[in-house]
Amino acid sequence: MTVGELLRQGAVTEIVGPLCSGRTSLLVACLGEVGRAGGAAALIDADDAFDPASAARAGVDLDRVLWVRCGGRRGAALRAADLLVRCPGFALVALDVGESPPRISLAQAFRLRLAVRRGGAALLVVARRRVLGAGAALAVETRRRGLAWAGPRLVPTRLAGVETSVSVLRRQGAAAPGDGVVWWRA
Amino acid sequence: MNRVACVRVPYFAAAAVERGEPALAEGPLAIVTGAPPATRVVEANGAARERGVEPGLTDAEARARCPDLVRRPLGDEVVASARHALLEACLGVSPRVEDAGAGLVHVDVTGLGRLIGPDAAVGARLARAARAVGLEARVGIAGSRAAARVAARVGARVNVVPPDGERAALGPVALAELELPDELAQTLARWGLLTLGELAALPRTGLASRLGTPGLAAHDLACGRDREPFRAWVPPPFWEEAQGLEWELDSLPALAAVLERVLARLAARFESARLWADALDVRLTLASGGHHARVVTLAAPMGEVRPMLTLLVLDLEAHPPRAPVVGVSVSARVVPRRAVAAGLWERSVPTVRDLAAVLTRLAGLVGPAGVGAAVLDDSHRPDAHTLAPFDPTAAGGAEIPRAGAGDVPSEVGFSERGIAPASAPGVLVLRRLRPPRPVEVETDAAGRPAVVRGALGPEARVVTCAGPWRSSGEWWDTRAWARDEWDVALSDGALCRLAHDAPTGRWALDGVYD
Repeated sequence: MTVGELLRQGAVTEIVGPLCSGRTSLLVACLGEVGRAGGAAALIDADDAFDPASAARAGVDLDRVLWVRCGGRRGAALRAADLLVRCPGFALVALDVGESPPRISLAQAFRLRLAVRRGGAALLVVARRRVLGAGAALAVETRRRGLAWAGPRLVPTRLAGVETSVSVLRRQGAAAPGDGVVWWRA
Repeated sequence: MNRVACVRVPYFAAAAVERGEPALAEGPLAIVTGAPPATRVVEANGAARERGVEPGLTDAEARARCPDLVRRPLGDEVVASARHALLEACLGVSPRVEDAGAGLVHVDVTGLGRLIGPDAAVGARLARAARAVGLEARVGIAGSRAAARVAARVGARVNVVPPDGERAALGPVALAELELPDELAQTLARWGLLTLGELAALPRTGLASRLGTPGLAAHDLACGRDREPFRAWVPPPFWEEAQGLEWELDSLPALAAVLERVLARLAARFESARLWADALDVRLTLASGGHHARVVTLAAPMGEVRPMLTLLVLDLEAHPPRAPVVGVSVSARVVPRRAVAAGLWERSVPTVRDLAAVLTRLAGLVGPAGVGAAVLDDSHRPDAHTLAPFDPTAAGGAEIPRAGAGDVPSEVGFSERGIAPASAPGVLVLRRLRPPRPVEVETDAAGRPAVVRGALGPEARVVTCAGPWRSSGEWWDTRAWARDEWDVALSDGALCRLAHDAPTGRWALDGVYD
């Protein structure tokens, strides 16, 4: 599985998983991929949890990322996502609802999916659990498989990285990716 | 050989009102002035005139002749904006136009044949330009302004008088079309003159001795000769459209509908003059007698109605008028339109107009401080960043480091499951807690964290930790800081960053690696 396979123009992708499983790193990798291609991305940060320093280290062009800080307001985050997916020109709209995702009815999910299809952007939803149901064309789950520490001797002095398994929960379309493993360097 | 077009909008005051309220064009309409009971009709459209409504009638007489007559007060601003709109529309066809009065424009069309085509095509272009700004015009084209003016009053909607054929074409036209002063018209009628040809056939010396200067001027008009020089009109430095309302508007959606019509007229003028608006001045006349003025600076020059309307409405939503609105006036500061072509391999980014509208809405949703592009500050202080205005078109100059370009350094690796990383395709990022969450930490004999309380669960044992990463800064200032950071793996599965603040001795959870 590559990061590019998660970015489906005009479709909704969900990245779900528990905290510390690597889901935010996967999201930031997608932001970096869009920036490297010269596109513009928007990040709706419901919990105000985005760390620009980490993102810059991960290769994200911060000038190309519109950061919308919602300060914990889930409703505002959803409305912001609805606005941004209707604004043509964004290659990626990422909605990070974090640990307490809002409840979205199936009708709302399908309306959002229709807006995404018309707008042409890729909508990436990051949450602890799935929120869009059948509204998402692709849903992947991240699980932490391993944790590596490094040091000159047998005493760890540095966090080396995290290994994440990415498994597909739902896929629509023939070009859907398969399961994979990703290594995140700390 | 000179060729001049005359663009004429009949019953101009009524046409100016119909321009703002197109539905009125279908029925009888009278423009009135004066307070009751002295209200009088000053202008009437074609449908009203067919029913006998003429300028000069009292309001009661007009209503008696035409019971379903719609009346609107004479608005100087409305007429002035329509007059300007007509001039600008003509200016889009020819660079030399002359303002000959309300609803009357002379256009120098000499040489336009090479660009547009024959005179009939030029006339049709002028009529289309006038229609684009909401005015139905008649066009006459001849060798002189006087002849063109007469041609615009008679015949087809676009009436072309062939070169050197003015006398033959205008000869049969009735004298009444010249709109001569009453006294002169009566004198000529007493002489038995009915047409322009008959007047033109009279000897000038005889006319001069009997009628003086007015007689000679009438003879010139009948012959199609211009005596006055062409006074070219230069567009004013401001662009304004206004809409007078007979009713009071006290809701924003209703006001938005009026603003949309006003902006649409303004946008049509921009289109004909190849201009964009850079800022909009909105002036609302209130029922209380006061005014509500707002200046909306556009994020980027634009000429489309929808984004301009969105920005105006959002501004008025934030700063509503204090009383019902009875008049709307919008003037624009304009800049020349600039065509920019995107690169062939350039990825699309939101257009400045779309972006301006969506950023304004987002600022209304989460506050202006919550929207922008992150900029890292030149500081080692944790989470040091600011938000700058988002402008993706200006981005892209800097070299972006590719994540995972280098492998993990050649150190001994420890893994929970014995997995040896072959390469590092991505970078583990921190999920910050803002503000950092205070936690209680028990340390071991070496001063390393051993138990953490209040992180993600009530209590968790530290399985592995790395640190401390010591940093400090701004010791020369009152904002001095010093801290030790630890990367810890907890027994509940969390992988977080703890920070120990040296001056206060407190521990906090900075964020979670995710």
